[in-house]
Amino acid sequence: MSVEVVMPKLGMAMKEGTVSIWNKQVGDQVGKGEPIASVSSEKIEIDVESPAEGTLLEIAVPEGEGVPPGAVICYIGNPGEKMAPVNASVQTQEPKGDAESSVKEKPEMSKQVKTGGDRVKISPVARKMAEAGGINISEIQGTGPGGRITKEDVQESLKQSREQKAEEKERDKTALEPAEQAKEMKVSGIRKVIAGRMHDSLQQTAQLTMNMKVDVTELIALQKQTAKTVQNRYENKLTMTDFIARAVVLSLQQHPQMNSAYINETIHFFQHVHLGMAVAVDKGLVVPVIRHSEKCSLVELSRSIKTLAQKARVGQLSNEEMQGSTFTISNLGSYGVEHFTPILNPPESGILGVGAVYETPVFKGEELDKRSILPLSLTFDHRVLDGAPAAAFLQSVKQFLEEPVTMLL
Amino acid sequence: MGSIAIIGGGPAGYVAAITAAQQGQEVTIIDQGPLGGTCLNEGCMPTKSLLESAEVYSQLYHANKFGIRLPSGQIEIDWNAVQDRKNRIVSTLVQGIQYLMKKNKVKVIKGAASFKTSQVLQVENSENQEEIKADKIIIAAGSEPAPLPFAPFDGHWVIHSGQAMSLQSIPSSLLIIGGGVIGCEFASVFSRMGTKVTMVEMADQLLPGEDEDIASILHKQLEKDGVAIYPSAALKDLEPTRKKAFIEDDKGLHEIQADLVLVSIGRKPRVDHLGLEVLGVDFSNQGIHVNNQMQTNIPTIYACGDVIGGIQLAHMAFHEGKVAALNACGIDSQAHASAVPRCIYTSPEIASVGLTEKQARETYGDIRIGEFPFSANGKALIANEQAGKVKVMIDPELGEILGISIVGAHATELIGQGAVMLHAELTADIMENFIAAHPTLSEAVHEALLSAVGHAVHV
Repeated sequence: MSVEVVMPKLGMAMKEGTVSIWNKQVGDQVGKGEPIASVSSEKIEIDVESPAEGTLLEIAVPEGEGVPPGAVICYIGNPGEKMAPVNASVQTQEPKGDAESSVKEKPEMSKQVKTGGDRVKISPVARKMAEAGGINISEIQGTGPGGRITKEDVQESLKQSREQKAEEKERDKTALEPAEQAKEMKVSGIRKVIAGRMHDSLQQTAQLTMNMKVDVTELIALQKQTAKTVQNRYENKLTMTDFIARAVVLSLQQHPQMNSAYINETIHFFQHVHLGMAVAVDKGLVVPVIRHSEKCSLVELSRSIKTLAQKARVGQLSNEEMQGSTFTISNLGSYGVEHFTPILNPPESGILGVGAVYETPVFKGEELDKRSILPLSLTFDHRVLDGAPAAAFLQSVKQFLEEPVTMLL
Repeated sequence: MGSIAIIGGGPAGYVAAITAAQQGQEVTIIDQGPLGGTCLNEGCMPTKSLLESAEVYSQLYHANKFGIRLPSGQIEIDWNAVQDRKNRIVSTLVQGIQYLMKKNKVKVIKGAASFKTSQVLQVENSENQEEIKADKIIIAAGSEPAPLPFAPFDGHWVIHSGQAMSLQSIPSSLLIIGGGVIGCEFASVFSRMGTKVTMVEMADQLLPGEDEDIASILHKQLEKDGVAIYPSAALKDLEPTRKKAFIEDDKGLHEIQADLVLVSIGRKPRVDHLGLEVLGVDFSNQGIHVNNQMQTNIPTIYACGDVIGGIQLAHMAFHEGKVAALNACGIDSQAHASAVPRCIYTSPEIASVGLTEKQARETYGDIRIGEFPFSANGKALIANEQAGKVKVMIDPELGEILGISIVGAHATELIGQGAVMLHAELTADIMENFIAAHPTLSEAVHEALLSAVGHAVHV
């Protein structure tokens, strides 16, 4: 009998996944493990691999259409085979609706899911050629050794896209005056995922932002003071981000209301802290997750942040490293931004926006003193908690940062 | 289990045989001569053996440059011993192929094969004749030296490369018709062994396929070794009785006295006597026509190696033989001709891969060139091998390494790294941070790449 391929469940709040691209058509021969389609949901886009070798018999979900996880998206088998009945295969993995029960940390993943962050095998010349030509390398089928994308593959892809563009141009010619023409980009892949999620976040939660200023003069002094020791002992450098992450983790443990998720009329409070760190990459925004950061020392946390950020930038994050976060930190300090309104990363209840440290004179008694100030912006879901407990959490973060020695204890 | 018959036991044929045997096929290989084909018996290997002897002689001749004094008049060439050594090497290598056939259970039949049907071959030798049936047949019949239309090979005065490597004695004078790879290699052997060599080439430079600046370095060295070179010249007439040749260039007619005339104007695919016409296999004088999978117009028949024309190099034949065999076994495989190194074993050696400067300019327009002379390389100086250089061609837009040409000592070994760069499609910026060992000739390759991007250090 034929084998069915289902929409994988990529996160516990996932209600729907969309097939962005079919790499294979009905009647095509597929090998076991061969990526047959790309599906997107949450902040990730991943490849679905064929669980078996055979022929793609039927496509149940066309490109661009969304279905719940567990729904059959296609069938693979020998030509002429009977399809498995559709309804028998739908399996849902919704979390239980009990607020007190601890939520399963990680939903079961279907075996055929391949991480979207997998390294694309491509030759250096091909990569540069694709970049110069504005071609998405994840959409090219490599013909080199082990599926490596070669220069020739990119040339072929460029040729096809040129032909396609020429056709489109021909069609659009009559529609717009040249002066009014805008560059168009079809929203797809990670951009589409981000667009959908951010819109949902704003529509479906009751989020608001509060700001606070933190005096980090002492922290910076401590950072400088310990830099050499840390470098010698751990071969590491502690950054402001590392200290903030540590302060957030400690505060979340003191304020479990902030470390929670609102799913289907149920609030889940977590004991573990899976800390999401938003990272801007070429294609958009990804949020690598430091799992069980409550168990990490400051130095371990710092290492994890650096490793994951680096992986994010080169597109090597595994699926597991991008999901399950319980709270997120978004840092725009390097752009000189002070306060801003971060948008919640559903189903989380809180996200902390970090701004740029600036120096300013501050009265200490009657004396003016030069102090370093860090602007923090906390967005929280008012459905989960009210202003006072949210402020208490933010105050706790402030205290840790202003009395940094307490973080080391 | 299927069966495959292969016509020809040269580089394409024996690699095809081993590949097919590894895939569990019953394989038969048919060849008239010893296994190994032209490469082993009349080409690559024996010529390189002669070149090595010439090289040792030449090194001893210049021993004083290294502070070694040899009693004058005491160094001499024992031509018979040179020939023996060459024959021993060839025979060892042929035995090696025989062993490989045995190990892979490939049946070897001596004889001439021709098609009866698309799956049956008629094999004839002096003793008997038999029919060989096979599901698939691979033609790897090779090539042979092309003769002059008005002066066929007589084996005494007008000879081909196969004969030139087994001469009874060192000729006192030799006229070489054709300044391609084979002509240049023989000029390099015999001029250094004391023969008065004259070369005639129709094109305006030696090695017409390579860049002029590269060929000119060899040109100068050959002249230093006493070779008279006539570029842009044509052979007008040969007079066997007086052993005289007449050649013409823009300066007029020249009369050349020569003990022997070596004709090296190219090699032609062996497409005759196979019965291709009867079956309707698509072919021309340039070779049998095949697709990327080495398949002819008749689905059960494949062809590979020199017999299909194109790049007539043993390592290309290895590649094509493997591709042909895999496809004949039902495994999809495509031949590619990118990053095929081209090696010329003259003194100095010449080796290149990818596009020449001329080709690169034709395709890419404004390219970036990086060069590094051996005279600025410490190891070359130590080895007294200052004549030479490395040249790289870079596409300025993507930094793609388009081609590398090397002339100088050990160029044929050095080109290996260039072949890797092109095969892996590496870019110049990656190679900028490459670390070459010091002191080595390889540093010259790295420095040439650096000079292409404007960061050369040692020049």
